[in-house]
Amino acid sequence: MAKVTEKKKTKRQEEVEKIIKASDPWEPVGHTPMPELPDLRNWDMRLLKTYKPWYAPFCDLCCFCTYGKCDLTAGKRGACGIDIGTQQGRIVLLACCMGLSAHAGHARHIIDYLIEKHGEDYKIDLGANVAVEAPNIRTVLGLKPETLADLRTAIEYVERELLHLVSSLNTGQEGSNLDYESKALHAGMLDHVAMEAADIAQTIGFKYPTSIADTALVGAGWGAVDKSKPVILVIGHNPATSTNIIDYLRKNDLYDKVEVCGICCTALETTRYADKAKVVGPLSRQLFFVRTGIADVIATDEQCIRTDTPVEAKKVGSAFIATSDKACYGLEDASERDADEIVKEMVEKGKQFLILDHEKAGEVAVKVALKLAPQRKKELITEKEAQELAKVCRECEICERVCPNLFSIGKGIHQVAEGNFALLREIFDQCIGCGKCEQECPRHVPIFTVMQLAASKEAYNVRAGRGPIMDTEIRNVGAPIVLGTIPGVVAFVGCSNFPDMEDLIEMVEEFARRRYIVVLSGCSAMVAGMKKDADGKTIYDKYPGSFDAGGVVNVGSCVANAHITGAAIKIANIFATLPLRANYEVIADYILNRVGAVGVAWGAYSQKAASIATGCNRLGIPVILGPHSSKYRRLYLSKKGEDDWTVMDGRKRELVNTGEPSPEHLIYVTETKEKAMVSIPKLCIRKNDTPQGRGIKLNHYISLYKKYMGGGLPEDLHLYVRTDRDLPIVYKKEALAYLKEIGWQPKPVLSLPTLIGTYPSKVPLEAVIH
Amino acid sequence: MVLPLHRVNVLTGIKAAKVIEDAEEYAGLIQRAKRPLLVLGPRLLELSLDGKLLLEYALEIAKTANIPICATAHVKGKMTELGVKPDSVYDAVEIVNHLKDAEWPGVRKEGNHDLVIFFGFRTDLGGQALSTLKHFAPHLKTMTLCKYVYPNADYSLPNFRKDEQWKAFLDSLISNLKKGG
Repeated sequence: MAKVTEKKKTKRQEEVEKIIKASDPWEPVGHTPMPELPDLRNWDMRLLKTYKPWYAPFCDLCCFCTYGKCDLTAGKRGACGIDIGTQQGRIVLLACCMGLSAHAGHARHIIDYLIEKHGEDYKIDLGANVAVEAPNIRTVLGLKPETLADLRTAIEYVERELLHLVSSLNTGQEGSNLDYESKALHAGMLDHVAMEAADIAQTIGFKYPTSIADTALVGAGWGAVDKSKPVILVIGHNPATSTNIIDYLRKNDLYDKVEVCGICCTALETTRYADKAKVVGPLSRQLFFVRTGIADVIATDEQCIRTDTPVEAKKVGSAFIATSDKACYGLEDASERDADEIVKEMVEKGKQFLILDHEKAGEVAVKVALKLAPQRKKELITEKEAQELAKVCRECEICERVCPNLFSIGKGIHQVAEGNFALLREIFDQCIGCGKCEQECPRHVPIFTVMQLAASKEAYNVRAGRGPIMDTEIRNVGAPIVLGTIPGVVAFVGCSNFPDMEDLIEMVEEFARRRYIVVLSGCSAMVAGMKKDADGKTIYDKYPGSFDAGGVVNVGSCVANAHITGAAIKIANIFATLPLRANYEVIADYILNRVGAVGVAWGAYSQKAASIATGCNRLGIPVILGPHSSKYRRLYLSKKGEDDWTVMDGRKRELVNTGEPSPEHLIYVTETKEKAMVSIPKLCIRKNDTPQGRGIKLNHYISLYKKYMGGGLPEDLHLYVRTDRDLPIVYKKEALAYLKEIGWQPKPVLSLPTLIGTYPSKVPLEAVIH
Repeated sequence: MVLPLHRVNVLTGIKAAKVIEDAEEYAGLIQRAKRPLLVLGPRLLELSLDGKLLLEYALEIAKTANIPICATAHVKGKMTELGVKPDSVYDAVEIVNHLKDAEWPGVRKEGNHDLVIFFGFRTDLGGQALSTLKHFAPHLKTMTLCKYVYPNADYSLPNFRKDEQWKAFLDSLISNLKKGG
């Protein structure tokens, strides 16, 4: 193996030392402070050697430049020389850069906004139980942020790297799919830095609850929205405007008199700020709820907002304000106009405006809602009205042909015409709310209006997002996670394009009941709370919000995903005492080999989800995706037992072929909830598990296999049994008979498995021994 | 080009499937293959034709033509219930990952397969899996038995408007395979 030698310090390195305040002695500076594209490339290549990119081109052509269109089918190259694999890597990087930009743009905006409000020296204080305030920033940059200005420094670093990443996408640049993947992994890592900076800034700047587990239970679902009050609906991710709406209400003694509700992550942000605000639902319910016309005012900010919101708002008579420079909708910028003048034009003329002054947007939203609410006449559709509308349907099935979730909406509508509403209610959980069916209907059936019937009118409870995992919690669970006696951390994250919403709710309950640590974020966090059991309780009523075995933790919105990777990093730091500072490879290696964590993005749809997941992958956390996510075009798969699973035994300093595919894949698509149920416990297995911990993990793997795969033992069980001490007592007899039948041989148990020492790296083996 | 039923699978390319409606021609393609493989998806557990579960059609085809089976997702459970043990168990993306390696020995360790027949997948996932093989597995041909056009396959059925047409095709395919056997 080629040795990596230290080079003479460059001017850039000196500058980096200054930026991260290297002389500040909180920890020694590691090998990769503020890493640039090539700095972690060897780590990436080592990962990609085991978890090779699997490509499923969504399109056979390249149409990026004027050479094209170029056909890249089956080995052909484009006019620039690119092949189909490299083109897929390029598209994946493009997606990751888009996702990263969305979060970094959000972070940059909110940090600048809060600096304007509080000053750049405003201190980071996440409460008494969070001392390791920014694990991602510490690990990647080597900076221990103390103020809002330091968070801005982190974003400036991200912006610098993003420039180079996007540059590589131009025609006639990168020529290797693996190097595109390395860059995508870099973008993913940066995304977690950006998300962390955004969420810390919001938490301190808006004084969200922090350092507590049992945050408030907030109202969720359509039934939670009090329609008797003026209703303001906020949609998106950035809380700058929604917090100003709340401030205006509080200042003017209107907090109890106006209903503020949200869709998508702004809902989660707003309920962290004001627990009387309501969560209407996830992204998939956006068009449905807008169409009801219940909202007197709709205010959008950024990300995952429908780009036709002004059109839809106008259709139902809701007033509309855009509040982000990322989504201006071609509207007149009224940011510098008098608030009352804007209100007058909105109320009397139905005008829609862009208002980038968030305080003014808050005032206008409230004033307009107060004026419009008394005139609101909209009611949800009745069964009789729906039946009449549905009678036009001729069951031509064109609606089904355009459905991205491939389900039979036409049959449901047709049955409504006959007075049978059961099927429509049943299929509503599969609807991702895009509206393409209605657009294509040749008979112009207002499918979305008819489907209002199927929406649950119940009120649910969702635990408000809690932000970072506390250091005290990590101290309690660090050892059981690393040793395997807590069988894993399962993070259900992201968007709501589920094959079926019910899948997610079942998975959350299954793993909480089995005393995994269940973590949630974004739309998944909302959906998990939108089902009641026979006693009328939601998952959040039944399970504690602590980061502990059997806990169900809502960290918050999309940007709070950084607290999930942050928790994994903190385990390495607080439990294993590994220094974080600019020590990315060591920490990622630790997590890959020792921390049994897995992400599940069952309804992932956006580029943000792609970059978040890719960031998890670089840090050694595997991710499971729902079936339609094969459209992301790229997975990282091993070939199971057929691959080389050699690692270094850090204590003995020798290479050991473990023969154990753990974790088996880094990013993986599965088609059904049943298979996901079985894949989750398997992807929590790590080489470091003690026999006791492995026994617990295999117990769950086998029992879930029997429950969802029709009995028997997993066909790959032998790959995860090192000695018979790994076998759970309850299945020992059956498993031993199977192992004997297939000629299984015991395998080595390692106490310090690591990839360091198996590839060229500046990091010495000593760095992983603690 | 014949359009697929679901628009998410509209071909954006040049090389598209040969759409075949003649069961005899399909049977001939299967019989000429030296090492075919039948990859079964979970939709087979949800759909029936005239009261007969689609999985039962799949098992009959496998038995008649002596084709090894790869069970994906949670198909294995129902197969076991019906008294059939799959030759291999992988998820769709995993079996495709193996198939694209020309040196992979196949599920019977007799060499990689030369014809891979997909049956019972969500059309979006199925379309993507077939795309992988179209681009990265020139050593094999792909075929589908679902009632929709799959442009990324080598051989696909047309969009059968009625289940009766699909049933008739599958019955005819089985009887042609029996004749050929």
